[in-house]
Amino acid sequence: MEKLNEVQSKKTTPTIPAIPSVERRMFMRQLGLVSATTAAFLASCTREVTDESINPKTGRSGARVGASILPDGTVDLGSGDIGISNLAFMLDQLETAFYGTAVEKAYGISQEDRKVLAELHDHELVHREFFRGILTNNGIPDLEFDFSGINFGDRYAIFDAAQKFEDVGVAAFNGAGPLIQDVEVLKIAGKMVSIEARHATLARYMIRPKTYFSLGHELIDAQGRDWALSAQEVMMKAQPFIKQKISVANLPK
Amino acid sequence: MNLFNILSDIEKRDAEAYERVEFTRRNLLKTTAVAAVGTTGFLATTLNKAFAADSEVVDVLNFALTLEYLEAEFYEMGLSKGGLIPEADRMVFMKIGEHEKQHVEFLKSALGGSAVGKPTFDFTAGGKFADVFSNYATFLVLSQSFEDLGVRAYKGQAPRLKGNQDVLLSALKIHSVEARHAADVRLIRGLRVWASEQETGGAPAAVYEGENNIRQHDLVDLISVTAPRLLVKDGSPEMVAEKIVREAFDEPLTKEKVLAIAGPFIK
Repeated sequence: MEKLNEVQSKKTTPTIPAIPSVERRMFMRQLGLVSATTAAFLASCTREVTDESINPKTGRSGARVGASILPDGTVDLGSGDIGISNLAFMLDQLETAFYGTAVEKAYGISQEDRKVLAELHDHELVHREFFRGILTNNGIPDLEFDFSGINFGDRYAIFDAAQKFEDVGVAAFNGAGPLIQDVEVLKIAGKMVSIEARHATLARYMIRPKTYFSLGHELIDAQGRDWALSAQEVMMKAQPFIKQKISVANLPK
Repeated sequence: MNLFNILSDIEKRDAEAYERVEFTRRNLLKTTAVAAVGTTGFLATTLNKAFAADSEVVDVLNFALTLEYLEAEFYEMGLSKGGLIPEADRMVFMKIGEHEKQHVEFLKSALGGSAVGKPTFDFTAGGKFADVFSNYATFLVLSQSFEDLGVRAYKGQAPRLKGNQDVLLSALKIHSVEARHAADVRLIRGLRVWASEQETGGAPAAVYEGENNIRQHDLVDLISVTAPRLLVKDGSPEMVAEKIVREAFDEPLTKEKVLAIAGPFIK
């Protein structure tokens, strides 16, 4: 828990893609655009999408674009915008389950504390059900979680965990945003990320109101910019709380 | 289906989409060329070269810079008025003000020679908020308005930055910081942290116009799927669901609408 939302060591390499990945990235962009032409990507999520042209030279690969369960039980989030949506769906499942557990198991907390946790639960539930609704067959299954490391008898531990989950949500959306192909998906991600930031602030305020801490300042750089994480970095933070092994190998990078 | 079929397919069905592919490709080549020059780190000065020729990006960033000038000067003036901000709240506004100055500096250096100058501001908006720097309540209302408006402004511009990943990333990172500011100011005021047309806290209604949208996608009726599972029980499940759903998404605002709201504060 301690390291959940610590800023990773600063990257010294540019975020600009290396040349060999440009072709692949270009291809992913075009995939996104194909979806865009079919009444926006989101509509295409309603059927199972199979990417039949991973390698135009060697023929069809048949790789799934949507989520899939690998032979060893690993949940693969899929690729492209669907993969990114599944990453968000996963985090929203985790947050909803966490707040649900907190409301159920917390003891020794005030009515006000409980109300805040219930509200946070309900907002995350809305986000979770949004992704479930648009991803349908391309979405990941309902995941199982392990919150045994969190002391639900300690309100500080509860809001500390909440703040960390929310901050990871902010960083996940910020990191994924530039990799989104379909502008409709980018718009939706934008509508949600600022809610995650508001949640993080609220959870932090419950611990130390009217401080730099409540602003999440330690995550903000010298240009006044928030933090961002890659899908791999998000999984380093989130995987310990998820029983199924999650793979982000096919997400855009 | 192969790559080339996809492209010609798009071309037939959606000429605009094809143009977007071309635009993205050109842009990628441009940024790759910059990478090849061998810069390390994520420096605004590098960004400057990457998009100097892109008038769309320049337009978005100058719009953002104007709003950041406004916020930065607002906090600087508020903090310099002795007795306005209570000691207990001062720390938060010092940090918010510092972030806004950093945004100004970042955007200015990213824009280089293309950066617009700082306008002259009138935070009374022609006398409408005459006591802005003598009455803390008024100062708080405007602070909340500027922060929530900033969130909506960046959100509205993100799609226009899609062709440039680095600039988009920075804009998103500033966007979520503005949301943290907005939430903290709302908490100081004892308001809910989420924006809606009901939760304006006395701010101009235009700042929250459209925030009550509950329909995010035709495939999902968020009210009916969430109502049975909510933990908040402040009324009928449908009523609670409607409130929760409109709060769970922040809505964008167009540049024109943002400028119409900010306009009275700019001389």
